[in-house]
Amino acid sequence: MSKSTPPVGEDRLLATFAVASEPGNERLARDRVAEIVSVFDLEPARLERLKTAVAEATMNAIEHGNGNRPELDVEISVALRAENLVLRITDQGQSEQIPAATAPDLDAKLAGLQSPRGWGLFLIRNMVDDLHVDHRAGHHCVQLTIALEGDSYGHDRA
Amino acid sequence: MVTTALDTRVRNHDGVAVVDLYGDIDRSAEAALTGAYAEAITSTQPILLNFADVGYINSTGIALIVGLLASARRDGSRIAACGLSEHYRQIFEITRLSDFMPLYADEPSAVDEQRPAER
Repeated sequence: MSKSTPPVGEDRLLATFAVASEPGNERLARDRVAEIVSVFDLEPARLERLKTAVAEATMNAIEHGNGNRPELDVEISVALRAENLVLRITDQGQSEQIPAATAPDLDAKLAGLQSPRGWGLFLIRNMVDDLHVDHRAGHHCVQLTIALEGDSYGHDRA
Repeated sequence: MVTTALDTRVRNHDGVAVVDLYGDIDRSAEAALTGAYAEAITSTQPILLNFADVGYINSTGIALIVGLLASARRDGSRIAACGLSEHYRQIFEITRLSDFMPLYADEPSAVDEQRPAER
């Protein structure tokens, strides 16, 4: 996972929208993104990966970034950069840092030594071609990059 | 936001406790999932989770499934799964859930493999 964010000027913005920070609204974001990118006719598996990544990143923003406070928005932008889709999911979070997307230890979880949770960023990283996490004053921004074409799942395993 | 609350049904299929899952597996599914597991563990073993009518599983849902696997390990039972879409099958592989939970395309093939041996 890289930490630097490429300049916005390279992107062709396709759409921006926001969802309120209420549990379940990650599905609104997921479905809206699917609608926005439908013009690219992504291969179905690639589209499913994108939808999962968007839903997970938005859910993180709602729960952890904005603390499920409906008066705070999660902002989502969708852009095209060369042959890639670039999505930015930004919360208003001011406290929690987004942790690194380390592989969860499933053996420890099954043995009861770790919480069964902690899959979000790991899933996101494995759904997209690149993941940037950016911390700025008063905001967390998760940037997802997925190629319009290409292959496959899984950069790593738990 | 409209979500699809999880509903479950537990039934016996040739000595396998099949848990049919209907709806979404997210944080709202915890009570339904744990209730279904409690019912299944007291009937027959092993347990087969049937995902054929599940449309959405998120990371919290993955955590709930990990919790079921941990419970089964403690209870000396085993869990298999069938009916996953190709996308969620990939996710079960990425997360390594498939290392601890055999995945089958459909219920008949799962029951064939998982049912207790006849005496």
